[in-house]
This record gives sequence, structure tokens and C-alpha cells, in this order.
Amino acid sequence: MATKSPILAALALGLTIAIGTASGALAQASLEQSGLVGRPEGITIITDQAQWPKSFNEAPQLAELVKQGKLPPVKDRLPQDLMVIKPVKEIGKYGGTWRRGFTGPGDNENGNRINASDRPMLVDHTGAVVNPSLAKSWKMSDDGKTFTLNLRRGLRWSDGTPMSADDFVFWFEDIYSNKDILPVGIADMTPDGKPGKIVKVDDHTVNFVFDVPFYLFETLMSGDTLIGGGQAVRQSNKGSFGAYAPAHYLKKFLPKYTPGGVDAANTAAKAEGFDNWVSRLHFKKDWTLNTEVPVLGPFRTVQPINNAVWVMERNPFYWAVDTAGNQLPYLDRVTMTLAENLEVLNLRAMAGDFDLQERHIDLGKLPVLLENQQRGKYKVHLDLALNGTDAIYHFNQTYDADPEIAKWLRSTDFRRALSLAIDRKQLNETFWLGVAVPGSTAPGEVLPYFPGPGWREKWSTFDQKQANELLDKIGLTKKDEQGFRVRTDNGQRLRLQIQAVQAFLPWPKISEMVADQWAKVGIQADVRDTERSLAMTRTQNNEHQIMVWNNGGTELLYLFPRHAIPVDPTEAYMGPEHAKWYNSGGRLGKKPEDPNILKILELFTAASGQKAEDRIKTAQEIWKILIDQQYSIGTVGQSPALMGVRLVSERLGNIPSRNCIAQHCRTPGGAHPETWFYKN
Amino acid sequence: MLTYILQRLGLALVTIWAISVISFVIIQLPPGDFVDAYIANLSASGSVVSQQQAQSLRQLYGLDQPVWVQYWKWISRVVQGDFGPSMEWGRPVTEVIGDRLWLTVVVSISAILLTWGIALPIGIYSAVRQYSVADYAFTLVGFIGLAVPNFLLALVIMYFGFVLFDLNIGGLFSAEYQLAPWSWGKALDLMRHLPLPAMILALAGTAQLIRIMRANLLDELRRPYVATARARGLPEWRVIVKYPVRAALNPFASTIGYLLPFVVSGSIVVSLVLSLPTVGPLLLRALIAQDMFLAGTIVLLLGVLTVVGTFISDLILMWIDPRIRAGIHG
Repeated sequence: MATKSPILAALALGLTIAIGTASGALAQASLEQSGLVGRPEGITIITDQAQWPKSFNEAPQLAELVKQGKLPPVKDRLPQDLMVIKPVKEIGKYGGTWRRGFTGPGDNENGNRINASDRPMLVDHTGAVVNPSLAKSWKMSDDGKTFTLNLRRGLRWSDGTPMSADDFVFWFEDIYSNKDILPVGIADMTPDGKPGKIVKVDDHTVNFVFDVPFYLFETLMSGDTLIGGGQAVRQSNKGSFGAYAPAHYLKKFLPKYTPGGVDAANTAAKAEGFDNWVSRLHFKKDWTLNTEVPVLGPFRTVQPINNAVWVMERNPFYWAVDTAGNQLPYLDRVTMTLAENLEVLNLRAMAGDFDLQERHIDLGKLPVLLENQQRGKYKVHLDLALNGTDAIYHFNQTYDADPEIAKWLRSTDFRRALSLAIDRKQLNETFWLGVAVPGSTAPGEVLPYFPGPGWREKWSTFDQKQANELLDKIGLTKKDEQGFRVRTDNGQRLRLQIQAVQAFLPWPKISEMVADQWAKVGIQADVRDTERSLAMTRTQNNEHQIMVWNNGGTELLYLFPRHAIPVDPTEAYMGPEHAKWYNSGGRLGKKPEDPNILKILELFTAASGQKAEDRIKTAQEIWKILIDQQYSIGTVGQSPALMGVRLVSERLGNIPSRNCIAQHCRTPGGAHPETWFYKN
Repeated sequence: MLTYILQRLGLALVTIWAISVISFVIIQLPPGDFVDAYIANLSASGSVVSQQQAQSLRQLYGLDQPVWVQYWKWISRVVQGDFGPSMEWGRPVTEVIGDRLWLTVVVSISAILLTWGIALPIGIYSAVRQYSVADYAFTLVGFIGLAVPNFLLALVIMYFGFVLFDLNIGGLFSAEYQLAPWSWGKALDLMRHLPLPAMILALAGTAQLIRIMRANLLDELRRPYVATARARGLPEWRVIVKYPVRAALNPFASTIGYLLPFVVSGSIVVSLVLSLPTVGPLLLRALIAQDMFLAGTIVLLLGVLTVVGTFISDLILMWIDPRIRAGIHG
């Protein structure tokens, strides 16, 4: 029985009740010495056929089914164009259940990500190199109008039916183009507003054809996008995207293929308890809810997500083997246990109830997590994200309720001054335990889009003197008795509002500290701790002045731009009216007057027709303007705060010492869980 | 008598209808709808929900229609026994609640029995032995029990259970029985997990009950009929249990109305902290996600149970207390 000091017990308790913010205790120990941050490493895909295995093995359970005649032999289940994977460390062995925690049906990403290989292409462990997955190769034509996917020959769905180009055409013609399912097309398939199409060349070759050059499509296809995301994530939770779908299974639920048409389909749907055929289709194609829908990922659901335990089992037709010819995955199944709240999930993780968990683990609990490593029989890894900042302060450029405030929000020097007034070191030590990188909003240095040396620091260092000078220069010279600068219109104190939501990070608390730092240069900011759907509504109505969020995803600017530039009205914290204007082609919203914003939007629009090299330069150009203008202030980022605190059971093998933490890396799926195994 | 019962029944129906309207409106009050909450949720984890998808979801759930249309659609189905689908769970509301209902009932009833089992004897004892050392001791413990919020107690007990005794954290089943079909082993496993939540839920209620029982009994003990009973030479325990205790139980009967909804919802906060798979956390979650049919159904259920419970306690009071019966006739 472990003895615990009362201080630690008190600390743990304080954290459990979520009063405490992370202490700086760990901050001093440098990250390299801590041994918590590993080296990026990943699987290798063997493309040289000479090195491929000649004979194949399978899990004992499957061998038994083969013997009973319920399943074809393993060599007949595997494709001709094999995916041969060299695991991170060694050849594994079959067996075991991967125990994890999840938070309910809204947490379907928890499992979608494990099945991340069900997309045509998937990035590797660096987050920058694209690997083949369902497609063995791909090509963009020279004119940028035709993108070709070469699918693996002999791919099979988890029910044994062959997967082919017809499944892509089916998705395009019968799901994507059906207005009852999807009222409007998606940007990923509509460059310059001109709809593209999917054409079958032969059984295993698919063309995506466009009217205008769309070089960006290759990147879209490789990212976590609506078009390239694959079946698990894009067809669960009522999504109808993902470029392909199991035609042989889904056809019977569509009116087009139902004798008797819409009426018959609706009657059949009602008989099963659905409102109409669309509702039924949404259920049938959702792999987290429907155990019957065929999948392509390493696991398939055997007990649906809307239960106390979500259970997945190995897909007997998974199309990858290790270098010794063992069909993957090694693990028999995955069980996810519902936790009613995150505190309990974290406590269970500490008790060793989970074998590998990075989702929902709280960075603030790191000291307690480390303390319990031995008794919980796990090891803690810290994986660093690629996005620039975990707390980004967006200044609403279209705010108009208070003209005086609006004027300052639109003033470049005002924003620069407030950025210089932030002591990022203090934030880092208090809320990130000192493990993150302070600086601007720019993406990680390892990514091609990083604008270059100096842009991490530009306007993003701590300099109160310069901040004061800038504020004086723009005319905010008068102060009240308490030393706060006053408005130029009525002499009252200038009061900004920061809207903060308590979500993945304690943004309200972080903002309180930022407000204290701003007070030191004479600017008062009030933090409004807002419930998140209210925050959402307010920002969509253009009611916020400053909104804090993170900029996760912006590291790949073209795939998830909404937290960097105002192009998507769903979340346009930097300027909802500009986003409406951009998104509607100028019909709605407000055209930006700021030439720099116009320039950013022009550059962004042009990028989709540019080849990779030019596109990277364009992204760097956009980042330079964004950082120089400080429309959004970056604070501290490239941290493990989101999915980067990873607890790994000592029994698991082939686990990379560092994971890629990013949306497009599908953490932890990008690390190929099908190659993980239990050593004992 | 019959008119009285019919009157109460009619009133109960009107109350239930009012509850259904109010609960539906309250759930709609916060800004945004299920789709907003859903988008916020996904976006916080870095997933994309397009405008198009949001629009088609709203159509699918009928969220683009006015509130009264949505209410009418809902209530006309409810009357036929169809409570609609839960948007978040993607299953019929009745199934989602049903999964958790009987576990909730087990936890709550054990908590109630435990509360009564502890509180009644202690209450009687400290009234009869007023100002004794034991009375003071129980009073002290009782007040502490009242003062400490039970979610905090749950956290403390859970933490020390984990650190000192390696207890399973939260939940009602061990990992190996989570998935197993019902068996003796699983029932025993449930029995092993039950005492902790039952005790935590019981403690706060216990203190309150002890105080009520003690105060009521003290009032009764001073009545002349007690002196008469003693004077006639009845044994002391009989004097107390047969007459004053019976009279002192009156207030308990009138609180049965509140017990019924408790049995079904459990304590939301404690269930949440202990990660009990009961109805309470489900309600909280449904409210946060603005899952209208689920939240509406639970609130309606709790309302109906309160009304039914009050009705039952009226009947019980009439039955155990002749004075109330007389009042109605007169």
C-alpha cells in the first residue's frame, strides 16, 4: 500500500475539485531532461514488393472461424496490393483488449480516430508527409483539373464484399448529390463555385474532375476534411461526406433503389421507428451506432456508442499485414467505458483502468499523474502539438455596437500594444506548467507553412515600455485616478470585454491573468465567463469584442482556416460579418475596408489553384500579415494541453515515444493502433 | 371522500399539463439549440461541422419551426406513449432512460432505507435521552453531516478509497462485469459497489431526519397522554413506540411526495461525481446539450412523480391520522 504525504493528497484533491491551477513545480525541470517528451517516430510502409511476406498468419479467433468454414482463409481476405507495415519496434502478437474511457455519444471522435486508416491517404508521424492508405498511389494532373486515386486492388469491406471505384461513384451520385440528404454541395468539391464530379475509370481507379485548376485538392484529400476524412468520421453523427460509401449495404435504404420509391422507403423507415428514410439512412451508415454497416478501418463496432460501454472488435478483412505476414490488428478488441465526468475519467486513468489514454487527460493534473505512474502501471508521455497557440485572442474586426471600442479593436497599434503587454512566460508557467512555447499564432517551426525566423517573436514578446509608448502614440494618453486609460469620446474609463468559455483549457482563468497584465499598461478588460452555446450565438450575432479560443488546426491553414482568417461564418471570431461576406460571394455581410484583410482573403482564394510550392509561399505570406497586424494575439502553444498527455500501460508494445498531436494526424490513429500489442 | 379524491385527481392532471409546458419552455430558453451545442462540442475537439450540415440537422429535428409547433408535435406523441428520439444518444428516449432507471431505483431505495434505518432509531434515542452525552454526540455528527455538501464527501471518500484501499473509482460495476450479462456474479458485484454511494447519499438526509424525529418526539413526549400511559403502568418502550412515535411519524408521511422523484433521479451532483450510471447525470447532460426530448421527458417524469407522490401522501395521511379524515368530512 502506497503511503502518501498529506500535502500531495491535498494537492490531488484540490485538482480533482478543479480549484487549483497547475503549479509551476515541474516547470523548472527542462523538458528534455524530464524524459517525458519523446522523439517523433512512426511505422514504415514497405512498398518494395520483394520485401513483402509470402505467407500469412491470422488471429486465433479468426483461424477458428476459418476452420468452421465461416470465414475464407486469410490469404483470400487480404488484397493483392497489400499494405505492409513495419511496426515502430517489433513484430507483435495477437490478443488483448484495449481499455479506454469516453464521455458519451458526443465523443464519437474517440473511436473514429482509431479507425483513421479508412481514408485514401493519411499523414505520417511528422504530420507533414502523406502516406498511402486505401489508395496505393495518387496523382494530380498537370492542369490541376483531374485528381486520380489508385485504390488497392482486392480491398474488401469488413463483411467480405469487394470495395471498388463503384463505392466512390455511389457516394457521389446517390448520397452527396441527393438534395434530401445534403441540400448544398461542399467547398471541397466546388472550386470557385463550380461543382466537380467523381468518375470511375476502372474498378480500382477513380478520377475527381474539376472545371478549374484545383491543385489544393490533393492536400484536401490527405487531410481531415469533409472529402478526405474517410467513412468512420464523415459518415457518423449524421455526416454524409467522405468520398465513398458501402454501396452494396446502403442502396436498399435509398428510395431510388426501393421498389415503390419514396413512399415505400418512408413506410419501411417508420416501421423501424425512424421519422423518415433520411433519418434511417443516417443511422444505417453510422458505424458507431449500427453494428451492421461494413467498414474499412481496423475495428468495427459490436456494441454501439450509446451504451455504458462502447465495444469494437477487429475487422477480419483488414487489409494490412506486418513484415512477418501477420494480419493486423494485433489487438482483439477495444472497450470504451463511459465516464459521467472528466474528473472521474482522470482518476480512473490514474488507477490504471485504461491501457492507453490521451483524450480527456488534463495537463493540470500532471504532477498527480506522474506520482501515480507506478501503482497505475503506466508511463506518462508528453506529446507536443503543432498549432501556434492554445489561447488566441481574436479582436472582432466587424464589431459595431460601441463605435469607440470598435475604433480601437480596428487599430493595429492598439492590438500590437496589447500583445506586447502580455507576459507569456507567466502564463506558460501557471497554466502550461512551463512545457509550452510562448509566442505568436504562427504554426510550428517543423511545418512548411511556418513563415520563417523571427515570426514567433514578432510583436509577441513582453515589453511594457513599448506597449505604453504605442498606446500613448495613438492618443490614449489620458488616465483616470486608478491609472486606467479613458475613452476619447466621453472621458469614461475604456473597458474591453473578453468572452471566454470554459472548455478544453481554463480560458476564463487564463483571461483573468491576461486582463491583470493589460491593467499594468492602463487597459481595463472584463472577462465574461460565458456558457459555450451562448458564446457561439453571441459571436455569430457579431456581439463580442474579444473572443478567446485555441487555433488548433490552423497549422494546416487551407484545411481548417476558421481560427486564423474570417472565412467560415460558423466560427468567425475575428469578424463574423467579413466571414459572411466572403462565404456568400459578397451578397451578405460586410466587405472589409482594411486592405490587409482584403489581401489575406484574396491570397487565400487564389491558393486553391496554385501548385504546392506557390501555395506554401502564399500561406507564409498570409501568416506574416496576420502576425504583423495582430488581428489575433497568440500567447502560448505547441503544448501537450490537448490530447498530448498520454498514459500508456507498461504492457503495451510498439507505442511511439511521441505522437503527432493534430487534427489531421488523427491522434492517436495516425500512430496506427493496429500495430500495437500486449507484451504479456 | 370520493369527491375529494376526484378533485385532487383533476388538479393533478392540470398540474402535470402545466409542468409539461413549463419544462418545454424552460429547456428552450437558453440561446441556441441542440445543433449549436453540437457544433460547439465538435469544434472544441477540432472537428468540422459545415453550415450545410448544421442546416440539414436543424431540418431533421424540426428545430427551424416555432416553439409552439415543436411543443405540439412533442406532446401529441407523448400522449400516445411515444417520447421521441434523444438527439444526442440517437435512440428512443424511453430506451435511454430505461437503461438507467432501475439502477437508479436500486441506488435510491437503498439510500432511503439506510437513511431511515439510521435516522429513526437515533432520533428516538436522542429525544428520549435528551441532553445525554450520546444525544450531544449524535447532534454534533448530525450537524456535520448537514453542513458538508455530499458531493464533497463523495470526492473525499473516493480519493481515500483509491489511495488507501485501491477501491474501484466510481461506477456501479467492476470492469469485468460491465459487459457481462446478468448473473449471480454481476449481482454480487453490484452489491459490493452499492454501499459507498448509498451511504454518501444517505448521510445528509440522515442528519435532517434525526433532527425532525427528535423535535417531533420531544413535543409528543410532553403530552398528558404519555403521562397517562406511564401512570397506567405500561412498559416504557411500549409507551414510546406505540403512541408518541406514531404521532411523530406524521411529517414523514407528508414528505413521501418528494421521495418518489428522488427515487428516480437520484442525487444529480453525487451521481455525477461518483460516475453512477443513473438518471440524474443523464438529465444534466441533456440540458447542457439541449437535447429537448430527453430533458423534457425526464423533467416531465419527475413532475408527474412529484404530483403522484403528493397524492399518495395525502391518501396515507388520511389513513393514518383520523384528525385529517375528520377535517375532510367536516
